[in-house]
Amino acid sequence: MTTFVVRRLIGIALTLLVVYTITFFLVRAVPGGPFSGERQLDPEIEANFKRVYNLDLPVYQQYFIEIGRALRGNLGLSQRLQDFTVSDVIIQGFPISAALGSLALTFAILLGMAAGITSAVYRGSAADVLLMSAATIGIAVPSFVIASLAILLFVFLVPLFPAAGWGTVWHLVLPALCLGTLYAAEIARITRTGMLDTLSQDYIRTAQAKGLSQAAVVLRHALPGTMLPVVSFLGPATAGILTGSVVIEKIFAIPGLGWHFVQAALQRDFTLEMGLVLLYTALLCVMNFLVDISYAILDPRVELK
Amino acid sequence: MFGRTWFLIVMLAGGLAAVGWALHGSRLPPADFTFYNESELKSVDPAMITGHPEGRIAWALYEGLTRPRGEDNRAEPGTAHRWDISDDGRIYTFYLREDARWSNGDPVTSRDFLYSMRRLLDPLNRAEYSYQAWYIANAKRYTYGAKGISPGDPVEVELNRAPEQPNTTRGKLLFGKLVRTEEGDKTGGDSARSRVFVVDINGGERRFMSTDDDEAVPTGVEPCRQVLLDFREVGLRAIDERTLEIRLENPTHYFLDLLAFYPLAPVHQGCLERYGNPDWKRPENIVTNGAFRLSQRRIRDRIRLVKSDTYWDRANVRLNVIDALSIEDRTTGLNLYLTGKCDWTTQPPPNAIRELLAAKPPRNDLNPAPQLTTYFYLMNTTRYPLNDVRVRRALSMALDRDEITRVATAAGEKPAFSLVPPGLVGYTQQNCDPRNPDEARKLLADAGYPGGTGFPKLEIHYNSDQVHQSIAELARKQWQRELGITVTLRNEEWASAQETQRQMQYMVSRRAWVGDYVDPNTFLDMYITGGPNNNTGFSNAEYDRLIAEAAKEIDGEKRLEMLQQAERILMDELPIIPIFHYVSRNLVKPYVRGWYNTLQDSHHLRDIWIDRTVDPNDPRPNEYMGRTP
Repeated sequence: MTTFVVRRLIGIALTLLVVYTITFFLVRAVPGGPFSGERQLDPEIEANFKRVYNLDLPVYQQYFIEIGRALRGNLGLSQRLQDFTVSDVIIQGFPISAALGSLALTFAILLGMAAGITSAVYRGSAADVLLMSAATIGIAVPSFVIASLAILLFVFLVPLFPAAGWGTVWHLVLPALCLGTLYAAEIARITRTGMLDTLSQDYIRTAQAKGLSQAAVVLRHALPGTMLPVVSFLGPATAGILTGSVVIEKIFAIPGLGWHFVQAALQRDFTLEMGLVLLYTALLCVMNFLVDISYAILDPRVELK
Repeated sequence: MFGRTWFLIVMLAGGLAAVGWALHGSRLPPADFTFYNESELKSVDPAMITGHPEGRIAWALYEGLTRPRGEDNRAEPGTAHRWDISDDGRIYTFYLREDARWSNGDPVTSRDFLYSMRRLLDPLNRAEYSYQAWYIANAKRYTYGAKGISPGDPVEVELNRAPEQPNTTRGKLLFGKLVRTEEGDKTGGDSARSRVFVVDINGGERRFMSTDDDEAVPTGVEPCRQVLLDFREVGLRAIDERTLEIRLENPTHYFLDLLAFYPLAPVHQGCLERYGNPDWKRPENIVTNGAFRLSQRRIRDRIRLVKSDTYWDRANVRLNVIDALSIEDRTTGLNLYLTGKCDWTTQPPPNAIRELLAAKPPRNDLNPAPQLTTYFYLMNTTRYPLNDVRVRRALSMALDRDEITRVATAAGEKPAFSLVPPGLVGYTQQNCDPRNPDEARKLLADAGYPGGTGFPKLEIHYNSDQVHQSIAELARKQWQRELGITVTLRNEEWASAQETQRQMQYMVSRRAWVGDYVDPNTFLDMYITGGPNNNTGFSNAEYDRLIAEAAKEIDGEKRLEMLQQAERILMDELPIIPIFHYVSRNLVKPYVRGWYNTLQDSHHLRDIWIDRTVDPNDPRPNEYMGRTP
C-alpha cells in the first residue's frame, strides 16, 4: 500500500510537470498576448514594458523564470482580471463549482443508478426500453438545450426558480439538475451493463439458490460489483464536474471556475490559464488515485501494489 | 460492508459540506438598484481600464477635476469647483473644492492629481489610455521613455526597487541631464536591453542601463528601472494644496470634457503605496473619491457599491446600494431583467432585440439611440488590388448598407457613409459616394477588371461573432452580385484577429470605433501616417497636415472646418468603408429615473434614482423614454 501511494504521488508530480510544460508552450504559440488591446500602443512603449516584465526574452527563458515561481507556490497575478491573483480566482470560484458539482453528481448517481438497475433487472421490458432511450437522449442532447428548456419551463412558464445567479440553494436547483442529467444518463447506461454482467455471475446464482429475495440479491450481492465500472467513470467525471461546467455556469451565471477556463484562453490570460490547467490536472490525478483506492474497498479481490 | 457504507457516508457528507461552504456568506441584502454590467471587470483602477463595464464602475468610484453631466456627458465642475483659462487656451488653473474628500476622510489635493497623472503617463504602467493625457505639455515625451529624450534634456533616473518595496512604489529617483545614449551591441537582438544612458548628475557623469539583472551590467554601469524625461518638465504644477495648473501642448477644445473622463481621475497615493498591487483594490483597502465606494466583490457575479458619506455632492446622490452584475451571457442578463431581478440591462442579445422592438404595444422601457460609434471595413491599401482607389470606391458604391442594417443588425442602426457619426454640434460629416452599382462596375472596369474578370479573390476578415458573420455574408453576396468578383470569408477569434489587423495580414477587415470623447478628432486622428490604430497603410501628407494644424487651431469653427476637409480626403480615398453607426440597446425599467440616453452610451450612477410611485403598466415617460441625444 505505501509503495503504491508513493509511486502514485511521484507519478502525479511528473504528470503535473509535463502538463505544465506543454501548456506553457502551447498558450504562447497562439497569436496575441495578454497585453494586446484594441487600441494599439506605440512600439517603444510596448518594448519598454516587455523588457521590464521579461516578455522580450526567448520563450524557454521565460519558462524557467515562470516555473521557478510556480514551484514556490506563486501562481502570479491574473493578467486580465487585474485586481486578483490566480489564487484569488481559484479560491473564490472553486467552492462554487464544487458545490454545484457535488449536487449535480449526487443527483446523477441516484437517478442514474436507479434507472440502470431497473433496466437491468427488468431487461427487455417496456421500462428498460423507455429508460435507455431516455438515457441515449440525455447523452445526445447538449446541455445548453436542456438548460434553455428548463429555464422556459421553470422560470417563465411556471415561475418556481430564479433565472440565474448565486446566493441561495434555490439558485442551485436548476443548474444542478441540468448538469446532473448528462451524467445521470451515462451512469444509467454503465450501471445497466455492469448489473447485467454481475447478474450472470456464479455467486449470484448461489445467492439465488439460497432462496434470498430478488431485492436482497440485487442490492446486497450484485450492487457492489456493479459499482466498479461506475466508480471508474466517476473519478474523471468528478474532476470535470468539480472544476465547473462551461455551458451551465454561463447560462445560469454561476460564478464558478468553468467559464474562466474559456475566458482565460480567449483573452490570453496566460497566468490564469496555467493555474486552472494545473488545478484540473491535479484534481484529475487525485480522483483517479481515489478511484483506485476505492476499488480495493469495494472489491476484496483487488489488491493495491 | 462497513467500509462500503462508510465510503458512501463520507461522499455524501463531503458533498453537503461543499454546498454549505460555498453558500456560506454569499447571501446579501437586496440592493436599491441592480444592473447588468456585462462581463467581469478588468480592474477598478481608473488608469488601467478602457471598456464600458469598467467605466461605469470607475465613474461611480472616482471623480476627476471635472465630471460628466448626466444629460449629455459634457463637463461640469467636479473635484474642482472653478477654473481659469488663459487667453491662448493653453493654461488652465483649477481650484479644488474645500469639501472634496477621499473615502477615508483625507482632503483631495492637487498633489493627488499630480501623483495620479504621472502614474497614468508612466510607460511601465502601460496604461492604454495614457494618450488621453498627452494634450498636457511634454506628457507624451514622458510616456515615450527613452524615445522621448535627447542629449541635453533634463531626465529622471528611476533606480530598481528594493526587494521589500511594494510594487506600487517607485524606485529611488536621481535627477540630471542626459549627456548621450550609447546604443549597445545589436547582435543580441534587442539593442534596447544593452542601451546605456550617460547622465550628468550634480556635475558627475554616471552611466545607467535599464535592467533588473545586476549581473548583466558591465563595469562602470549602474542598473536602473528606467531613464525618462524629468517629470517636472511635464505641464503640471501644484501651486498650492488646492490649486493646480495645467499647461497644454496645444489649445484643446475638448480638454475640460477629457478631464471628466475616468483615466484622469485621481487615486489615493497612501492607499496604493501601503497595500501594493493588487491588494489596494480590495474592498477593505481601497480609498476612492467618487459618489460611491466599493463594498463587495465576487468575481463573475457582482460588484456592490455603497453611497459614499464623504462625497462633496452626497446630498444629490439618491441611491444607497447598487449591484453591478458581471454576467457573461447576454440572454441570461435579459432573463434576469425580464424576471425583475435587475433594473437595467445594457445589451439584450441581437436576436431578442428584434422581437422586443416589434412588441405591440411598443415597450415603455426600450428607446435605442444613435451612438458615437462607427462600424466599418478596413482596406489594406498596400495590397494589390486594393491599392487602387477606384477599386475601393467601387467596393463602397456596390455595398447596400440598407440591406445590412435591415437584415443583420436590426435595432434601427443608421447606414454610414462617413467615419464620423452624426450628432456632433458644429461639424458636418463628409460622406463617401452613395450606393451606385452602375458607377461601381464602371470604376472597376476602369481599374482593369471589366465585369470582375481578372480580379483576385477578395477576402473579408472578421472576428468570430454572429452579427459580424451575417454582415460579411451580406457584403460578399452584394459584391459578388454587383461586381462579379469572388469573395471569401475568414474569421478568427478576437485576440488573433487584432494581431492580424496589426500586422496587416488581411485584405478587407472588420473594425468598429467608439469615440473616446465627443469630438470628430477621436475618429479622424487615427488615420494619420503611421498612427498606431491606422492599420490600413493609408498615408496622405495633406491629411496629416490638416489633423496637425487643427490640433493647434484656437478658433473652434476653423478647427472643425479643417477636420471636415480631412474627412473629405478620407472619404475620397476610402482606406476604410463605413457601413453603419451603432445604436444603443438599453432596457431600463420605467421606475428608474435620471437615466439619460447619451451619444457615448455612458450613464452615471450618481444621477439615477428610483421612483416607486410609477406604475410599471402606466408610466409617465421617464428621462430615458422621453428623449434622444
